Amino acid sequence: MDAPPMNAPHAVARSTPVSRARRGRWRASVMALLVLLGVVASSASLLILTGAAQDAHKLRTLQPWLLAGNLLAVMVLLLLISRKLYALVRDYRAHAPGSRLKARTVQMFSLLALAPILVTYFFSVNAINRGIDSWFDSKVSTGLEDALALSRAALSLRMREFGAHTTALASDLHSVSDYEMMSQLDRYRRIAGASELIVVSDGGRIIAASTDFASATLPALPAPEVLLQARQRQGYVSLDPAPGGGYRVIAAMPVGNGGNGETRLLVASYPVPEQLAGLADGVRAAYAQYGQHVYQRPYLKSTFTLTLTIVLLLSALGAVYGAFFWATRLVKPVQDLIEGTRAVGQGDLDLKLALPSNDELGYLVGSFNDMTKRLARARSDAEANRAAVEQERARLAVILARLSTGVISVDADFNLRTANQAASNILGVDLEAAVGSPLSTLADSEPSVAQFVSACSQHLAAGDRDWREPVPLITEHGRRELMVASTTLPADDGASAGLVIVFDDISTLLQAQRDAAWGEVARRLAHEIKNPLTPIQLSADRMRRRLLSQLDAKDAEILERGTHTIVQQVEAMRQMVNAFSEYARAPSLDLVPIDINQLVSEVTDLYRSHGSAVSSATPVSVRLELDPEAGMVLADRGRLRQVLNNLLTNAFEALEGQADAVVSIETHDVAIDGHSLVELVVVDNGPGFQSVTGGQMFDPYVTSKPKGTGLGLAIVKKIIDEHGGSIEAENTPEGGARVRALLPRDEAARGIFSMTGSRDLRRSEFRREHV
Amino acid sequence: MVNSLETPSTNARSFWRCSLLVALIWLVATCRAVAADLPVIDEGAPFDVRSAFVEPRDHVYLLSATLEVALSRAAQQALTNGVPVLLQLEFKVVRKRGWLPDVDVGSLTQRWHLSYDALTEHYLIKNESTGLQYSHESLAAALADLGSVQGLPVIDEALIQKGRRYEALLRLTASIEGGVPSALKYMMFWIDWRRSTEWYTWTLRP
Repeated sequence: MDAPPMNAPHAVARSTPVSRARRGRWRASVMALLVLLGVVASSASLLILTGAAQDAHKLRTLQPWLLAGNLLAVMVLLLLISRKLYALVRDYRAHAPGSRLKARTVQMFSLLALAPILVTYFFSVNAINRGIDSWFDSKVSTGLEDALALSRAALSLRMREFGAHTTALASDLHSVSDYEMMSQLDRYRRIAGASELIVVSDGGRIIAASTDFASATLPALPAPEVLLQARQRQGYVSLDPAPGGGYRVIAAMPVGNGGNGETRLLVASYPVPEQLAGLADGVRAAYAQYGQHVYQRPYLKSTFTLTLTIVLLLSALGAVYGAFFWATRLVKPVQDLIEGTRAVGQGDLDLKLALPSNDELGYLVGSFNDMTKRLARARSDAEANRAAVEQERARLAVILARLSTGVISVDADFNLRTANQAASNILGVDLEAAVGSPLSTLADSEPSVAQFVSACSQHLAAGDRDWREPVPLITEHGRRELMVASTTLPADDGASAGLVIVFDDISTLLQAQRDAAWGEVARRLAHEIKNPLTPIQLSADRMRRRLLSQLDAKDAEILERGTHTIVQQVEAMRQMVNAFSEYARAPSLDLVPIDINQLVSEVTDLYRSHGSAVSSATPVSVRLELDPEAGMVLADRGRLRQVLNNLLTNAFEALEGQADAVVSIETHDVAIDGHSLVELVVVDNGPGFQSVTGGQMFDPYVTSKPKGTGLGLAIVKKIIDEHGGSIEAENTPEGGARVRALLPRDEAARGIFSMTGSRDLRRSEFRREHV
Repeated sequence: MVNSLETPSTNARSFWRCSLLVALIWLVATCRAVAADLPVIDEGAPFDVRSAFVEPRDHVYLLSATLEVALSRAAQQALTNGVPVLLQLEFKVVRKRGWLPDVDVGSLTQRWHLSYDALTEHYLIKNESTGLQYSHESLAAALADLGSVQGLPVIDEALIQKGRRYEALLRLTASIEGGVPSALKYMMFWIDWRRSTEWYTWTLRP
């Protein structure tokens, strides 16, 4: 009933729920009391009416109570209806759901009920008024008056007789003395048949009286005006109602002058014959009753009108209240449905409406409940699915993040959708920050990505759905090989929803393959070539010793030169083979803590003293920039010494014949991903690496120098790799060469470059920035 | 949208206005029908206690009073229609006690029925307590008879003590209740079915 209307929450929001509930309870109890009062009043009225209907007198005495009860019922109904009406108007103005339907229903019901009630009322009032008027027909009235006149006429005959008798008696009495008066009166009374004879003096005093009433001690005097009239008119005859019922005729006649000149009166009372008196009395009574009814006519009309009005009020108000009651009952499920729909619209699917009845509305409410139940189930299913998908995504994300393989997905327009950490590491770009932007814009800013993108675009343009191929990536730090595989993502309509591109940096793998191949070559060479070298050298020596003395000077010189060349070349070949065998040797490290700075000092000292042995022509100054923090590193002393030897030899060879040749060696303490590393940098101011890019610098037989085995840097890289470190070579902006090697300081740090396999320094730094 | 919202609301408003108008018209009509030409007893005819006194005789106080009794047109009409008029004389004596409430010492009520006999065209006065009946040819004579109270014994002399202050009160009431259904009297509460004089008071000195 007080369902909050659409605009109501603003008003309602101010009162607390507790006070609202208390007010609601109070209202409910007042309502219940009113209804109870109304029911009790109506029932009491009915009960009184039923009990008293048989007894008219009882009904008359109880009528006030009936009236009061009915009026009370009317008041209660009025109160109830005004309350309902107020609520309806308030709801209507507030556009509360269902209020319009309710108003229309109440209006319709009220009209339907009120119209017949009003018609009946007006007809009833009219009919009753006319009916009451018809009782008082003028003919009846005239007839009664005629009957009365007839009775009077019949009696007046007697009155005249009695008057004549009395006059005669009075004249007789004139001569009777006061003394004889009593006896004469008795005699006269018996003769005349009178019931009473009194002689009254002028002053109203009784002079003599004769009466047949045994009980009466004193005869009753007639009224003074009777005596006065009798004296004035010389006689008076009148019909008078007898005190004990019936009628009597009273006649008063002057007796004549008394002794002292006074006028005496003879007052005689005659009984009217019983039959005549009875009839006359009947007529009188009927006339009187009719007169009373005539007098009561307007009151009767008013009473009936009032009674009918109260009945009308009760019926009409009852009908209106009933209209409200039924409208409320009819509209309630509709209101419930409206509120339910609103609640469902706001996402509350746990709502269950009460079933009002077994009719169509009930069916509708049932369907609504069914619908909300299904919706709730569908929603919970969708929630569960979403959660499962979310979980799957999370798992996938974890897997992708842990993958060393780069995985990116792009949509049909080549916009980046997802990228994992490994992809960012491999391409050297923060792809996760670029999610949503097209790959082409990323390619514009990053050359490595541009190569990658162009390789992918070629396949895309060719319409390849699934392809796999190695893509070389030339970066400023060197060449890297990526193995890129792409698969088209299926879409719902069969068109391409995008691509998944999976790529791996296989540079290390290739390097390892190359290394393995070179190792094999070296071992075979060592095995196949080394064996015949000694016999060749020995044979050449013997030839020289045996034949030198027997030949002439010219031939001897030729032989000398030839054997010398053979021996020299064989020695060179042996050195080469030894170097190969060194390269191919199986790794067996003897890791001990070494002070890197001390080692560097030792080795460079050697070069300072024997610097000329390598490069005799020009002096090379060796500059040391040793970081005291560099400290201890877990390494194989001999191998590390070889690394330094090879690097310094390389540098010295490169600086051959150059003025102001400087080789500087630096050590630094570096931390990557929380791991401690030692950085070793060897920089020269020579011509730098020529035309050979960084990645292949460390391959065997790759050299930029005119003389050299091409194994120096390959061995350096091999040793550094064996230590779990990393190495890179580049040209300095000033034109020299720079080689940077990173060595893990302890066991824990050894794994950091093996995690992605081919991580180089640049990428590690990138990662460090973005962690 | 605005029209579809306004139309039912306007309809409803006009409906309630019409209903209110019909209810008002009906109420006025009903009131007129109920209260149409009803006789009333109070029409400004003289109705008063002119004088009254008591005097002790033979250990009893006798009341003598002159009452001015005239009947209104409505009452006369009721009377000639056969509806009896009830006249009631109330007498009481109270003892005055200064600041304290008065004490009722004794009271007497005398009732007369005044009726009209259509056959004899006489007005009858019947004393309810004595049963005595007097008839008069005219209403004026009957009323004059009623208006003169002579030597009506009202209170025992023993009840009145010397040295105390008493007050006597007298009032006359006329009513035509007998001819009207009792329910109507309750319904038409605004109509006076009876008429009373003011209390006529005088000090009683024993």
